[in-house]
Amino acid sequence: MFQVKAHVLLKEQIAPGIYTLRFFCREIASRAKPGQFIHVKCGENRNFILRRPFSIHRILGPDTFEILFKVVGKGTSCLAQLHPHEILDIIGPMGNGFTIDDGLKSTILVAGGMGIAPLVSLIEEIDLQRIRLYILQGAATRERLLYFMYLKRIARKIFLATEDGSIGHKGLVTDLLHVAIKECKPDCIYACGPEEMLKEVAEISSEFEIPAQVSMERRMGCGIGACLSCVCETRDGYKRVCVDGPVFDATEIVW
Amino acid sequence: MKPDLSIDLAGIKMKNPVMNASGPFGCGWEYAQFIDLSKLGAIVVKSITLKEQRGNPPPRMCETASGILNSIGLQNKGVDRFVQEDLPYLRNYNVPIIVNVAGGTIDEYVAVCDRLNHVHGISGIELNISCPNVKKGGAIFGSSSRSASKVVTEVRRVTNLPLIVKLTPNVTDIVKIARSVEIAGADGVSLINTLLGMCIDVETFRPELASIIGGLSGPAIKPIAIRMVWQVAQAIDIPIIGMGGIASVKDAIEFFLAGATAIAIGTANLINPQITIEIIRGLEKFLEEKGFEAIWEIVGKVKID
Repeated sequence: MFQVKAHVLLKEQIAPGIYTLRFFCREIASRAKPGQFIHVKCGENRNFILRRPFSIHRILGPDTFEILFKVVGKGTSCLAQLHPHEILDIIGPMGNGFTIDDGLKSTILVAGGMGIAPLVSLIEEIDLQRIRLYILQGAATRERLLYFMYLKRIARKIFLATEDGSIGHKGLVTDLLHVAIKECKPDCIYACGPEEMLKEVAEISSEFEIPAQVSMERRMGCGIGACLSCVCETRDGYKRVCVDGPVFDATEIVW
Repeated sequence: MKPDLSIDLAGIKMKNPVMNASGPFGCGWEYAQFIDLSKLGAIVVKSITLKEQRGNPPPRMCETASGILNSIGLQNKGVDRFVQEDLPYLRNYNVPIIVNVAGGTIDEYVAVCDRLNHVHGISGIELNISCPNVKKGGAIFGSSSRSASKVVTEVRRVTNLPLIVKLTPNVTDIVKIARSVEIAGADGVSLINTLLGMCIDVETFRPELASIIGGLSGPAIKPIAIRMVWQVAQAIDIPIIGMGGIASVKDAIEFFLAGATAIAIGTANLINPQITIEIIRGLEKFLEEKGFEAIWEIVGKVKID
């Protein structure tokens, strides 16, 4: 784990209020794994003091990586104002990422809304390993289905759901999981999205006895495991999302 | 010549007056990835209780204007596992170890301190009579001079280690409490602990923290801490460890001027894990630039006409 001053290379708006931010930072890019995150000091405003955690969105090479964020509060508003060549104080790579077991042949990824963020780097890894990839993607509206065209190209099949029904199934992405599992016969499921969605993924995957890895989200303090702010309840008591997660085996979590 | 930062704090010899505040620093090992722990004046271990404590349900923390509100609930593995698992690691660093002790009853405080008495490698005890997170105990002891002095008296009986008492600011007269723990045998006082606070989510109409009420810390509380350190410094003869919102060298210097012999950094570690070391360096530089030879030369030197 490194605390570094990283250069911003590029900021790109990919949907209304949603941005990618590309960093030049060898220390983190060369070591980061899908599912890990960085802890970002979003400017010098002392009115809000905590760092903000963002999952590693894409690893572009040994020197560069991206995060994906939606503007929701003070921290992300600051990030949205950044320009290339500005410098940010970041710590990373942090936490335990996704595990890709040897011999994995087929997998389903479930992405809910901004939950796509850590899954894109995982998708690239899965694609490299030539594992059969199926994607379930859900969002509020059609415009919020990020990277939909890319995902459609890279996956064997993509199942879509929107809450307003503007494309795909009208409803929640997890409504499609039963059918998808029967059709795709995955060895493993990976999921990131709202906690209700993760809970549903955990239930359905255990029904089919398929291992599932879920990326949890909590408000964080230190991000390095010391302050015990970000705990979630597991079968072995409270665990820290920052260092024991953020990726957990779905059966481990007490929902 | 480099200014002398070393101090003798209630019999604890420290190479500099900067330590971490008990809590967000854990036992220090997470921070060893970022700093050399042996460069600190002392390490103050997160509150230890007699038995393992699970802590409070999440959410345990939320951000406030220039601060944070937390209610971790003294999650810790209990004194026996601390001694077996964490202390051997901490002993590897050439730095005094101060163990923060919490309890729900006087017997519990006494039992933990008694257990620590027979252990090698502990330089002092910081008695947490002020943690606002535990429903019974904690805040109750620190909020009246009678109960504060009772727990200090009982602990004093079983330990010869330097005994520092950490005071809560959630009282009408902190000076009175400070005086009473001094009389009861404390060798020093730490102040301030967090201030009780509450935040409500206006979308859900629910409190932000699962425990409803939490402790406020961070830069927001610094002026209150400075005021209390200054008031207490006028009234007692034992040394003060000043804390509450320190996030820069300037903040630290304010505490010394108000009368603190040493300072501790809590919340700021969450934002910058190297802050303790940066403040040690900054203090040295400040003294050098101002022509002071030693840190004690600025302690209590606020100019009041």
